[in-house]
Amino acid sequence: MSELGRVLLVEDDPRDVELTMTALGEYNLANEVVVARDGQKALDYLYCRGEFGDRSNGNPAVMLLDLKLPKVDGLEVLQQIRSDQRLKLIPVVVLTSSREEKDMIRSYNLGVNAYVVKPVDFHEFVNAIKELGIFWAVINEPPPGSMKKAP
Amino acid sequence: MEWGRAPIRYGFSVACVAIALGLGLACRYYGFLDAELSLFDLAIVVVTWYAGVGPSVLAVVLSTACFDYFFVEPIYSFEVSRAELPYFFLFMGSAVIIAWFVAVRRRIETDLLSTRDQLQAEVEQRRRREEEIRELNKDLAKRARELETSNNELESFAYSVSHDLRAPLRHVVGFSELLQKHASSALDEKSRRYTQTILESAKRMGNLIDDLLAFSRIGRAETKKRLVSLDQLVKEAVAEIGQDTKGRDIVWKIDPLPVCYGDRSMLRLVIVNLLSNAVKFTRMRARAEIEIGYVDGENEVHAFVRDNGAGFDMRYVNKLFGVFQRLHLPEDFEGTGIGLATVRRIIHHHGGEVRAEGAVDQGATFTFSLPKGQVAEERSANTP
Repeated sequence: MSELGRVLLVEDDPRDVELTMTALGEYNLANEVVVARDGQKALDYLYCRGEFGDRSNGNPAVMLLDLKLPKVDGLEVLQQIRSDQRLKLIPVVVLTSSREEKDMIRSYNLGVNAYVVKPVDFHEFVNAIKELGIFWAVINEPPPGSMKKAP
Repeated sequence: MEWGRAPIRYGFSVACVAIALGLGLACRYYGFLDAELSLFDLAIVVVTWYAGVGPSVLAVVLSTACFDYFFVEPIYSFEVSRAELPYFFLFMGSAVIIAWFVAVRRRIETDLLSTRDQLQAEVEQRRRREEEIRELNKDLAKRARELETSNNELESFAYSVSHDLRAPLRHVVGFSELLQKHASSALDEKSRRYTQTILESAKRMGNLIDDLLAFSRIGRAETKKRLVSLDQLVKEAVAEIGQDTKGRDIVWKIDPLPVCYGDRSMLRLVIVNLLSNAVKFTRMRARAEIEIGYVDGENEVHAFVRDNGAGFDMRYVNKLFGVFQRLHLPEDFEGTGIGLATVRRIIHHHGGEVRAEGAVDQGATFTFSLPKGQVAEERSANTP
């Protein structure tokens, strides 16, 4: 647990972004979070293009992905990542409000690593985000080539 | 050609014979001998063919008489000379045989004609029926399309409820919590209570949304029906509920229950709902008694859950199973009012019925019926 992985948060709702960042901030996990506000931006980040054209290379240690997104939705992003040789190893956690079986099945079919329904209760939400952050950014050993930095 | 009226038919017979006689006499006058036999036979054929049996007999008799009178020696008398007897009998015999053959032939033709008409009518009828079936099929297909559309709409509605309503709710809860945390020292007692109320209401709304979604899913979900042991379900439900009843004195009286036919997870929801209701509404009893049993019916079993709890007024029994209908104050008994609506929906889905009986402060009994295991098995074995 010596390194902190970079987290890519793909979330369109600013309030959800704020709540998630607050939750991650409580456990000092917020520093290494990059926020993409829609599916297109998320893909831009992963492919180092557009506003992310000059970022240093390397994949995030984990991607927290909302399903309902403007422009390119979460499942399309997921499909794109999984079909690209360079990106397909990125651990992806779907973080969504949808408890629909249909969404879960499609996400798992596309090879998602975890599926988390955002709890309505704030404490549960904070806990869920914390555990996700700690597990994926700290405990889990991401695939080689992911961005990490010493804490 | 069929002539209905007897006088016309008999008149036709007389006329034909008269014409044959006239022609025969004319032939004889101009020297053509022995034409009369054929002419009378022809008259009989025509009469038999067109006028039926009675006129045909008349024609035979008249022809014979005319033949005898005009053409058989001695002429102009009904006597028959011995020499002419064979000729006379030959005529009579041939007349009768011809009439007979023509009558038979005529009957066969009439039968054939009527059979053809019948067949034609049947074909016509079948064509009309096929037309009707086609129309009905078209209607049915249209109805199915409409149903599918409305089902899809319902699904997308449920989806947006699931996704879009939950997000703002999460924000209300989240930011109220943050407000509480950051400003609780600056807030006075009243303001703290306000934020607390906001939080509780939002959470309650979250529960309502979840319950409503689960309720709507019952209608949309595919049911996987198979044999289900009610015993096992009750055991599981009691174990599940038991975790929340620590410290309470509850007497469970559970009779052996039969095997039913249905969707296991749905029936489990029914049992859990009914048992947790029984546990909830017996809370104020020092010693709660909950009985689970069944009554055997002909094709179905009637299982019941009986408690000695708060009960209800039978006047409001119809409201008991409505969505979000509650008969108790939230301070007394918590809940969203969707449990019994869920129970009823599931049981109706299984082709059963739900009944409730009770009295205020004297407990309640909830009975639901389900198809018997073996009956349902036989039924599904019989259907291809």
